[in-house]
Amino acid sequence: MMQFSDWDILRNLLLAARWTLLLSLIAFTGGGLVGLCLTLARSLRNPLISGFIKAYVELFQGTPLLMQLFLAFFGLSLIGIDVDPWTAAGLSLTLFSSAFLHEIWRGCIDALPKGQWEACRTLGLSYLQTMRYVILPQALRIAIAPTVGFSVQIVKGTALASIIGFVELTKAGTMLNNATFQPFKVFAMVAALYFIICYPLSLFAKHLENKTHVTR
Amino acid sequence: MKFLRKLVQTVTLSVAMLLSLGAQADLLEDIQQRGTLKVAVPQDFPPFGSVGPDMQLLGYDVDMAKYLAESMGVKLELVPVTSANRIPYLQTRKVDLVISSMGKNPEREKAIDFTDAYAPFFLGVFGSADEQVSNAPELSGKTVGVTRGAVEDIELSKIVPADATLKRYEDNNATLSAYLSGQVSLIATGNLVVAEIADRYPDRAPGAKFMLKNSPCYVGLMKGEQALMDEVNRLIAKAKADGTLNQLSETWFNAPLPDLDA
Repeated sequence: MMQFSDWDILRNLLLAARWTLLLSLIAFTGGGLVGLCLTLARSLRNPLISGFIKAYVELFQGTPLLMQLFLAFFGLSLIGIDVDPWTAAGLSLTLFSSAFLHEIWRGCIDALPKGQWEACRTLGLSYLQTMRYVILPQALRIAIAPTVGFSVQIVKGTALASIIGFVELTKAGTMLNNATFQPFKVFAMVAALYFIICYPLSLFAKHLENKTHVTR
Repeated sequence: MKFLRKLVQTVTLSVAMLLSLGAQADLLEDIQQRGTLKVAVPQDFPPFGSVGPDMQLLGYDVDMAKYLAESMGVKLELVPVTSANRIPYLQTRKVDLVISSMGKNPEREKAIDFTDAYAPFFLGVFGSADEQVSNAPELSGKTVGVTRGAVEDIELSKIVPADATLKRYEDNNATLSAYLSGQVSLIATGNLVVAEIADRYPDRAPGAKFMLKNSPCYVGLMKGEQALMDEVNRLIAKAKADGTLNQLSETWFNAPLPDLDA
């Protein structure tokens, strides 16, 4: 039997946590950018564009992330497009989180009274001006809590990327457990590391909420 | 209906791909040309494949992959897989071989091809060295410990003579404890369980007496790669003959290699 010291376990988990962080970052920036574009496009209220976005959101919210990863990695290979794990993970995490972030942000914009839009029109503000000076600053404040809530979900969701060969935090935990047979120790460390990643996000959200509150 | 058109395109493309697969150049040549053998191995199933303190893969399957790559004179690229994704990896040609403690069954045989057996995986009756038993009738008058309701219990119950006693324990650990504490000198269990005892209590390790059910592991490869199949089979046969596999079995299972084709 191989001897693992506690430091061996922790060290390997920390190394694996890099991939969890990196995958989360990709998911959040990619998903954020695409989600933002979708949200802006949808606020144009063009029925064709809105219909397309609605279908997009339904598709990616309604199917499990695990299947999306599987299809992106193995499915595309099967039809002859060779994708490496990073592309597949980046692609499906972006698609998945953009659908959710878009839905969150659209809700935040819709939550503003219709009168705000109408008032802007009577003042003669253009679409961009309305967005920039009236709608977004107010929507942003409501958006912070659900956005951070979802980004914490993303961090934990990256564990699914192990199906396409990523050895991230959860996978490393299972591998180490199967080599050391100390499930309590290993998984307690895994949970602690997830907490260390997620807790600052929540703190950051609180900080942002306070900050935007003052400027109002 | 952009989506529908895309779907139709995709389906036609994949059918075309599937048809062209049969006509592709042979994989063995590809491997030799690119100079690397890509092998899917388990990462969380000791002793077949798990990780060491430095997260390096090690185990029976990993050593088997090393042996194959070495004998073919190419570099080895290990791809850690789970039982959920090992066949997709093979079918999408992301790996050349799956050496992942995989047993053969008719469903799998429809999807991929199997070489000859390379690793032992069996249920049997094991016991201390002073027990002289080599088949079921010789159990007459003896006591065998077994885990209640396990496959080995069912198999053994079918063939055991009437005057043998089966002592049934509630779980694997209880069966093991009964053996280790000397309550029974014979137990029916799997060779992996025995390998674990041998690991922890080298001097009390039970030896194999006879086999109850044999389901050895095979190397999996893409359908229709006859040249690669022949090459791997040749190397497996060679490893059996020159003791390489026996050495692996001694290292990882703490037991000599049994007859895989029994």
